[in-house]
Amino acid sequence: MVNENLVKDVVKEPYKYGFVTDIETEKIAKGLNEDIIRLISQKKEEPKYLLDFRLKAFKKWQKMDEPDWAGLGYKQIDYQDIIYYSAPKQKEKISSLDEVDPKLLETFDKLGIPLTEQKKLTNVAVDAVFDSVSIATTFREELAEHGVIFCSISEAVKNHSDLIEKYLGTVVPASDNYFAALNSAVFSDGSFVYIPKGVTCPMDLSSYFRINSGDSGQFERTLIIAEESSSVSYLEGCTAPMFDTNTLHAAVVELIALDDASIKYSTVQNWYAGDEEGVGGIFNFVTKRGKCLGKRSKISWSQVETGSAITWKYPSCLLLGEESVGEFYSVALTNNLQQADTGTKMIHIGPKTKSTIVSKGISAGNSINSYRGLVKMGTKAAGSRNYSQCDSMLIGDQASANTFPYIKSQQPNSEIEHEASTCRISEDQLFYLQSRGIEFEEAVSMMVSGFCRDVFNQLPMEFAAEADKLLALKLEGSVG
Amino acid sequence: MEIIEKLKTNKLIDNQTEIQKICLHKLQSSPLPNPKSELWRLSNKSKFSNFLNYSVNEKNPKFDIPYPENSQGTIRLIIGENCQIKLIKENYSIQQLNESELNKYIKEQIACFDQNENWSDLLNLSLSSTKNLLGLKINGSKIPPIEIFSHASSNSLNAKTLVIFLEKNCDIELLQVNLGKENSSLSQSTFFLLEENSSVNHGVVSYGENRSNLLNSLNVIQQKNTEYNLGSLHFKFNYARFEISIKQSAGNAKTNIKGMQITKKDEQISTYTKIDFNGPNGFLDQINKSLADDKSHAIFEGSIIVPKIAQRTDASQLSRNLLLSNLAQIDTKPQLEIIADDVKCKHGATISQLNEEELFYMRTRGVTLQEASKLQLSSYFQEIISFIPISKDRWDLLDKLLNEN
Repeated sequence: MVNENLVKDVVKEPYKYGFVTDIETEKIAKGLNEDIIRLISQKKEEPKYLLDFRLKAFKKWQKMDEPDWAGLGYKQIDYQDIIYYSAPKQKEKISSLDEVDPKLLETFDKLGIPLTEQKKLTNVAVDAVFDSVSIATTFREELAEHGVIFCSISEAVKNHSDLIEKYLGTVVPASDNYFAALNSAVFSDGSFVYIPKGVTCPMDLSSYFRINSGDSGQFERTLIIAEESSSVSYLEGCTAPMFDTNTLHAAVVELIALDDASIKYSTVQNWYAGDEEGVGGIFNFVTKRGKCLGKRSKISWSQVETGSAITWKYPSCLLLGEESVGEFYSVALTNNLQQADTGTKMIHIGPKTKSTIVSKGISAGNSINSYRGLVKMGTKAAGSRNYSQCDSMLIGDQASANTFPYIKSQQPNSEIEHEASTCRISEDQLFYLQSRGIEFEEAVSMMVSGFCRDVFNQLPMEFAAEADKLLALKLEGSVG
Repeated sequence: MEIIEKLKTNKLIDNQTEIQKICLHKLQSSPLPNPKSELWRLSNKSKFSNFLNYSVNEKNPKFDIPYPENSQGTIRLIIGENCQIKLIKENYSIQQLNESELNKYIKEQIACFDQNENWSDLLNLSLSSTKNLLGLKINGSKIPPIEIFSHASSNSLNAKTLVIFLEKNCDIELLQVNLGKENSSLSQSTFFLLEENSSVNHGVVSYGENRSNLLNSLNVIQQKNTEYNLGSLHFKFNYARFEISIKQSAGNAKTNIKGMQITKKDEQISTYTKIDFNGPNGFLDQINKSLADDKSHAIFEGSIIVPKIAQRTDASQLSRNLLLSNLAQIDTKPQLEIIADDVKCKHGATISQLNEEELFYMRTRGVTLQEASKLQLSSYFQEIISFIPISKDRWDLLDKLLNEN
């Protein structure tokens, strides 16, 4: 019989990114109204169309109700008690990384994100976002040689206004849902990527999001456009300090893939999850959606969700182009009082479109881990296919694992397959490993890692290592 | 919606019984189900209001059952017509529940109702007069098969209620047939209590005529060591809902469900199942098949709930769907909600059309496309039909389904 407490100990791991950087920040007053939105827009020196976009979204948001269909239990969010703009004070314009406040660089170094001297060692370009603003983007010149634009969205608004005006809000409209509307009204910063026609991005691009301030929300917006026959792999990482209060994170990510383009978007989400009693932690309400506009385009989402007190996130694909492909690979680990409601939507609109969903949920402690997904075959999606697999693993008898797949078909010439299973750590396998001299802790870790293997295989090298380490860390504990 | 208007003003039923009063009172506070809830979200509004557009008919005009006469030993009951039964034999007895037993049980059930989930039952019990309420108490062994009919008459809404207590160590075969007439609505609610060590092979066959509607609700409570097998078939209804709620009250029970719904023209037929495991060692094997043709819409929603107490539950649920037309649609939503850790639960869902390779194989051997399709459909139907007790030998359900195609 597996000792329940042993397994519980194994999944306990203190949050190591919980430090706060003591840095002077510029914050605006708490609250949300039209003036605040105008102020954010003014601070960012935005053109009028963007201010109009924000104000329109705000009007829509005011008329919307916070969604409750996911059945997540969290204390009501007071939207007037949040600071919607917070930025570390620094010089107006930074011409090189040397001018960035050393404290900020130190923070990112502590997080293992190389912005300075190590940057040459790894072949990954990084855009680091600290609270509401992007503080640095590395490898820009190298990328520019290939015509790749990789910068913060605020810069893109200034330098590539035509692209922003053309694409912003076309995948996730401002009125899409409550949190997307809120984001559209107050989004502060985020990353912008543009890959020109025929270019394969020479290196992986990466954004690192850091919440530092306890009372400010983070509302970043990411927009990635892959022109014809281009391809890019984009990585995203997130951490936050430990506070007793809950911080709101409502992001929007929009991806657009044109003919033969491919976008791979990987996330390792490790926001602070709150303590064992469920105090503190990030409320993570994210809208991520990709539009496969072109023929044979491909969008692939892979995510490892280990943090946040509440996760509400459904990275989706709109498969419009003929023979376009959507993929979703997810590992979600919840512990203590975490609640994760995550999954995907695969909307097949064009003919011969294909999608694959692989979701692995691990719930421990008193947590709730739900997969919620939609697969829809439209009337024109002839010859389309979907395959979904959702597996859940339960650790301890207080954790809960739910599966809510929703399948809708209006096209007889298409095929949908869905399978789901729920189990716990197999005692036989544990016994087998232990009888061969493998420590209990390592055996559990190996089994969890094996359970997630299908998803880890999809992650880019740098992230696969980080994800494996992260999971191992979460599983590493006080056994012995 | 005539029924709802009358309900609001309490002019729906004269001489209300105590149960009718309780249910009407509950319904008056919120007369219609919440259209935003998962259970009612996909329900076609105009078809649903059509269901409620007939006036209640408490009388049951004579009508001929389009089935062969009773074969040897089968007990045939028609709710509202020949409900008087008292069979006490050497090894078994079938008798009517007396009024107080019946009222007590129904009241207990109502107390646990959820306004939205049990809306169909509330409506049924509000409309069902004493005459249309059949309660049976069955015990013993070697009981002959039982057939129970409910029918609706044209241009009216009929409500029929069936309550069955299956006493300890009892074993029966029961077929319930719900027949809809042209332009009619039938509301059928069934309450089943399986006491320890009992087992049932339950068949539910519902079919209508042009423009008939059905709200069919089935509530089963399984005590320890019981086995409940359900084979169901719904077809030819303009609008039909089949709501199944099964509760394994103390675990250690077995449930097998094989259901099918066939939709054509602009019909909408839906099946909602909720399986609640309330104790350890529960077992469920469920398969639901749909076939949607023309402009029709088939819906399946199944939820499996495994709380902490239900350790060592073994549950599987499969939704298989055939979509045969460009204008038809299928929605399916199998769900798992699990808190216990020592469980084996799985579900699957597929939507496709007839297997092209199989069709090709048969055609290369000289079978026409039409015949080959029929053969494929017949194997698709057969799995379910063979699970329906009694009917399979006598009623040629398969022929009926295939020749309608």
